[in-house]
Amino acid sequence: MTKTFKVIVNGGPELAVDATEGTLLEALEKHQLEMHYHCRSGFCGACRTKLNSGQVRYTTEPLAYVRKGDILPCCCVPESDLDIEH
Amino acid sequence: MSYSTFNQEQTNPLTEPMFLGNSVNVARYDQQKHSIFEKLIEKQISFFWRPEEIDVSRDRVDFNKLTDSEKHVFISNLKYQTLLDSIQGRSPNIALLPIVSIPELETWIETWSFFETIHSRSYTHILRNLFTDPSEVFEDIVINEQIKIRANDISQYYDDLIFYTQLWQTHGEGEVTVDGETYNVTQREIKKKLFLCINSVNALEAIRFYVSFACTFAFAERELMEGNAKIIKLIARDENVHLTSTQHILNLWQYGEDDPEMKEIAEELRDEAYEIFMTAVKQEKQWAHYLFKDGSMIGLNESMLCQYVEYIANLRMQAIGFDAPFENMRSNPLPWMNKYLVSDNVQVAPQEAEITSYLVGQIDSEVNASDLGDFDL
Ligand code: FES
Ligand SMILES: [Fe+2]
Ligand SMILES: [Fe+2]
Repeated sequence: MTKTFKVIVNGGPELAVDATEGTLLEALEKHQLEMHYHCRSGFCGACRTKLNSGQVRYTTEPLAYVRKGDILPCCCVPESDLDIEH
Repeated sequence: MSYSTFNQEQTNPLTEPMFLGNSVNVARYDQQKHSIFEKLIEKQISFFWRPEEIDVSRDRVDFNKLTDSEKHVFISNLKYQTLLDSIQGRSPNIALLPIVSIPELETWIETWSFFETIHSRSYTHILRNLFTDPSEVFEDIVINEQIKIRANDISQYYDDLIFYTQLWQTHGEGEVTVDGETYNVTQREIKKKLFLCINSVNALEAIRFYVSFACTFAFAERELMEGNAKIIKLIARDENVHLTSTQHILNLWQYGEDDPEMKEIAEELRDEAYEIFMTAVKQEKQWAHYLFKDGSMIGLNESMLCQYVEYIANLRMQAIGFDAPFENMRSNPLPWMNKYLVSDNVQVAPQEAEITSYLVGQIDSEVNASDLGDFDL
């Protein structure tokens, strides 16, 4: 079953992201966006992204410090439409 | 305020600050004030590796094929990394253990330092393979001017904190005169030194390694020195855990989730913290200049390295609440770096030593019914 949400990155066009297919990071890479990352498993914080609106769910518990209003796309999936700054 | 290896007072570690409260007595982890440190311990231990597991023998052949300027790049970076890990293998223990106040952080510090000693041992493993006698390389570390400048900048914050802690633990608060010099020792003063020290360590873990990492991986991109690259990949993964821990400490302070006095100090010394980071950035760029003084290497030159330092600095400074200082360096100038920094490269055969899950897999001996097949008793 697909679960598709609209994601806006840096004020760009709406991108369709299926929350059942991999992490938010992987989904945005499929849309050819240049993503910042190192570990891809939630402990280094290099993928840190500002969440302007929406909700995400972590599939792996992040170990990097997640400041208020930030998310780590390498270990989460969208739970609603999102507006983010990466 | 002398240190006791087993504080007999009944304390509640759940209400202690991370540092400079009561010293830790019982090493218990069933309850935690900041459980993140316990999680980092688990993560770090799951990454355990031994330098000897990685075959570096082919690197010797490669090394002899390098040009003189490439040899300079390779060896200088190893020297610098040896310096950094020599400092990190002891300093968190010596500077931070005497003043830590919660058990999970105390154990994290010990775990962290221990892994730095693995890094140090791996440099010997690499160098022994390249040279019959690596003494000259090691001996140059305390002579080389370029390395000495960096050593001084890193160790001064640790040394200052250690010295003041010693005065405080032997004389208590107040004025203390040592060798004709008078020091005003207060707990707040020690907290300030601690704050600056953690900022300096954070800059070390967060960016100081990246110039040498980039060179190592640039060689690997050309299929050169790949044994070395495997080792550095494991080191880089550990450093990412270390840097997360220092970012946590700084953020817990500044966002008021630990000692309220440290929150004040974080505000008071914000500019100094910023400067510590920017000085590290500047020094890393100078290091890039020194590395390429006799010529660049294929795929990498001084200006690309400097851009990469700025790119990494942006990420790291935002992580501790600063604005990105290098606005026009928002996209990664060395995109191939990322494949070496990913924690688990699943495309490689599992028997390859750089696979993180391999070692863990040996221990995690899960048995499924299907594994037993038609095994009859
Ligand atoms: S890439 Fe490391 S935390 Fe997301
Ligand atoms: Fe290290
Ligand atoms: Fe480290």
